[in-house]
Amino acid sequence: MEVKLDKRYPLDVEPARAWMVLQDVRAVAGCMPGAAITEQVDDTHYKGTVKVKVGPANAAFGGDIEVLALDPAAMKLQLLGKGADRSGSSASMNLTAHVEAGDTAATSVLVGEAAVIVNGKFAQFGGRMMSQVSDMLLAQFADNFRAAAAALPAPQAAPPVASAAAASGAPALSPAPVRELNALGLAWGLVKNWCAGMFGRRT
Amino acid sequence: MNAPTDKGLERIAALAGIGEPRLRKEDARFIQGKGNYVDDIKLPGMLHMDIVRSPLAHARIKRIDKSAALAIPGVHAVLTADDLKPLKLHWMPTLAGDVAAVLADLKVHFQMQEVAIVVADDRYIAADAVEAVQVEYEELPVVIDPYTALAPGAPVLRDDLAGKTEGVHGKRTHPNHIFTWEAGDKAAADAAFARAPVTVAERIVYPRVHPCPLETCGCVASFDPVRGELTTYMTSQAPHVVRTVVSLLSGIPESKVRIVSPDIGGGFGNKVGVYPGYVCAIVASIVLGRPVKWIEDRIENISTTAFARDYHMDGELAATPDGRILGLRVQVLADHGAFDACADPTKYPAGLFHICTGSYDIAAAHCSVKGVYTNKAPGGVAYRCSFRVTEAVYLIERLVDILAQKLNIDKAEIRARNFIRKEQFPYTSAFGFEYDSGDHPTALKKVLAACDYAGLRAEQAAKRADPHCPTLMGIGLVTFTEVVGAGPSKMCDILGVGMFDSCEIRIHPTGSAIARMGTISQGQGHQTTYAQIIATELGIPSEVIQVEEGDTSTAPYGLGTYGSRSTPVAGAAIAMAARKIHAKARKIAAHLLEVGEGDLDWEIDRFKLKGDDARFKTMKDIAWAAYNRLPPGLEPGLEAVHYYDPPNFTFPFGVYLCVVDIDRGTGETQVRRFYALDDCGTRINPMIIEGQIHGGLTEGYAVAMGQQMPFDAQGNLLGNTLMDYFLPTAVETPHWETDHTVTPSPHHPIGAKGVAESPHVGSIPTFTSAVVDAFAHLGVTHMTLPHSAYRVWQQLKKSGVNL
Repeated sequence: MEVKLDKRYPLDVEPARAWMVLQDVRAVAGCMPGAAITEQVDDTHYKGTVKVKVGPANAAFGGDIEVLALDPAAMKLQLLGKGADRSGSSASMNLTAHVEAGDTAATSVLVGEAAVIVNGKFAQFGGRMMSQVSDMLLAQFADNFRAAAAALPAPQAAPPVASAAAASGAPALSPAPVRELNALGLAWGLVKNWCAGMFGRRT
Repeated sequence: MNAPTDKGLERIAALAGIGEPRLRKEDARFIQGKGNYVDDIKLPGMLHMDIVRSPLAHARIKRIDKSAALAIPGVHAVLTADDLKPLKLHWMPTLAGDVAAVLADLKVHFQMQEVAIVVADDRYIAADAVEAVQVEYEELPVVIDPYTALAPGAPVLRDDLAGKTEGVHGKRTHPNHIFTWEAGDKAAADAAFARAPVTVAERIVYPRVHPCPLETCGCVASFDPVRGELTTYMTSQAPHVVRTVVSLLSGIPESKVRIVSPDIGGGFGNKVGVYPGYVCAIVASIVLGRPVKWIEDRIENISTTAFARDYHMDGELAATPDGRILGLRVQVLADHGAFDACADPTKYPAGLFHICTGSYDIAAAHCSVKGVYTNKAPGGVAYRCSFRVTEAVYLIERLVDILAQKLNIDKAEIRARNFIRKEQFPYTSAFGFEYDSGDHPTALKKVLAACDYAGLRAEQAAKRADPHCPTLMGIGLVTFTEVVGAGPSKMCDILGVGMFDSCEIRIHPTGSAIARMGTISQGQGHQTTYAQIIATELGIPSEVIQVEEGDTSTAPYGLGTYGSRSTPVAGAAIAMAARKIHAKARKIAAHLLEVGEGDLDWEIDRFKLKGDDARFKTMKDIAWAAYNRLPPGLEPGLEAVHYYDPPNFTFPFGVYLCVVDIDRGTGETQVRRFYALDDCGTRINPMIIEGQIHGGLTEGYAVAMGQQMPFDAQGNLLGNTLMDYFLPTAVETPHWETDHTVTPSPHHPIGAKGVAESPHVGSIPTFTSAVVDAFAHLGVTHMTLPHSAYRVWQQLKKSGVNL
């Protein structure tokens, strides 16, 4: 099952700080609920895990992440993640994300496009909720991303963009705690969104 | 014989024979929860098996690491294709002349395919160990659409068939092509179309569905290493055939293989085949020397064991302007999944699909069916129907409706104009079937009158005239003919074994009896109805007749129960065996009464002297005498065996009418009325017939309104839980009205034709006919199954009538 995502999240930090987070694969992973980087293989290859639990579909994906492109000038990151779960699911994600300038100098927009393919039990059981779950997941991701960016030192103190890209041991980011996506909380979120949709449609 | 007296009627009633609404013998144990199903069987030292399945629909297996699974305490074995190779059991032959992987060898061909098995102390450990087996895959391009499968350059699915251009049914023209099978006269059909003033054509897709019986498949295999004997309890609709297959595969003599089908919780075709799970459990039991149980869960059942349908049919009718059908042409693309494991008589890769001229006298017809491989589970069974008959009936009934719409002729009228007339029976169809008997006009008239068809049409016209009417009203009508009772061994065999069936009757000295059969009930009530046939034939109360089936060590060889064959074939075997006993009983009676055999008349339960009611011997008297006072030269005992090879199929028919009201806001379809008239020939037990019809209509409703197995482009099956797969409960099920006519089969010993599948075959096109009829005035001629609220709502939008 393939889900295509095309999202824009306005951020209340200026582009430079947003890019600081985006160029750091570990930090990006840290913003994703349930995800973590477990090992860096080389400059562009990482190993990581993602835990997701949606109703009967419970998956702990372990796999490889490859940074396909990291373009400081365009503030753009492209990565490919591929993983499998022991209980019979597999997933891949091709993600392109970049930071755009916002309406004011102090704001920016995180723009992401992703093609996610899931196979196996996760697609079978979770299939009908895939796009809603992705929306929820990404909304949480955006919140964490915002928080991570805001926690960085203020703009004047931030190092220039170009050097930040090269510095692997750059400023200590404070990613949100890694916790698996909460099934109950998520279910409630889905119900809330669904109800909002029901009533919202008529207005 | 004179009309029975009151005393005679009492004696007839005491027998509870043919025609009596006798209560089901099986129900006492089922309603008390005392049934004995495969999962109830627990043998000492029994281990449990679970299966590692592929998450991908098409992939190469790079590596399987079973070390972590084997390290779990309580795990006894993990087996893969490599472990089965020395036994040559990693592939097995299918009923359709192909091979199927038992455990995936090098490649997986469909999602949830069996990759490895785990045997452990209990089911929980086995499930944990399944997750510990590490399989590395390399993904391959997936083929889901059967049309794409035959495109030039399509990914090749079956590496094992590389270079094999000759299939079981002729040339293979593409690596994913299985067979092309034709019937009828192409030249005659083409000629009819060339000169016909009117033609209609439609692509009619019958989606992939699953029989989904309440009990899933499973087995308990127990190999005794000391005696070298294998006993397997199995959910099988054909235990004798399974024994033959197991013996051929394992090399164990058939005399040392015992297959037992205990109580079975529904089959509907799902339990005809031999599945990898059975083979693996048997191998595991042989390897470990302990009993091994394997029980499918629901998801495994829907995903991997025996789907039905998946027929993509291009049908055409040629006709005169007044609706007289001149010709039929059909081209079918049949999606068989990854292995050709269709359950059909060997000579017929498309089953009896060529019954598709239906109840109509069509002079010229031709059909061509092309089988194709895709990355889906194998199967292709007859889901509550005779082989591919549901597809055939659906096709012709849809085409006749479409023709009626084009010519603006009422759908009842166009059918009446094309019926095979009563005096034409026995009637040979353009495809060569010899229809045994039928009376369609009478059945149609009865249904139209019972439902006030004219009144319904008037109501519909009034509603159509009212733009504010919140519903669309549709009337569906189907006049179907089924072909069941496979079958004559000159035409039908499975793995070379003719499709006869058998019965062995033994009368005990005190006049009670046991009958053993080659069939196996999965809810049909054989224990009840078979005894009724014997009761009427031999004058023994059905209450004292035991019926046993399903144990290959005690029952005579038979081909099993599917395709409505139990009554047409085994029911006939019962009558014939009983008649052998009857003939011997007459000799004994004559001896006891000291008269000639010709001086005796048979009356209900006794032989009596012609013209003298006071001198008689009842069957009970005769049974006692059979063990002590026999005429000279006659061997003691009173028993007989009969293997019945039917001279022809039987052709049950019926007329179904359905009225639906479709909510213009939601697309929800309300079945207001469903009237089902069935003619199954002689009726053995009207109560059981009614139950069968209710069950068949409900399963027909399920298929028509919701059942579907959808796949995404990656080959994920998106409907393999009961959350998605529609299984109607009492809440959704409409009220059914049943009726009947009786046109006995002339070639069947008791005139019975079989009934359980007619309601499934007949009702599905009736629902479509009704739903499409609701849109007919808007120019809609066909809508694809299933008619779920969402899909109907889409049509409402498209037709611009959504509120």
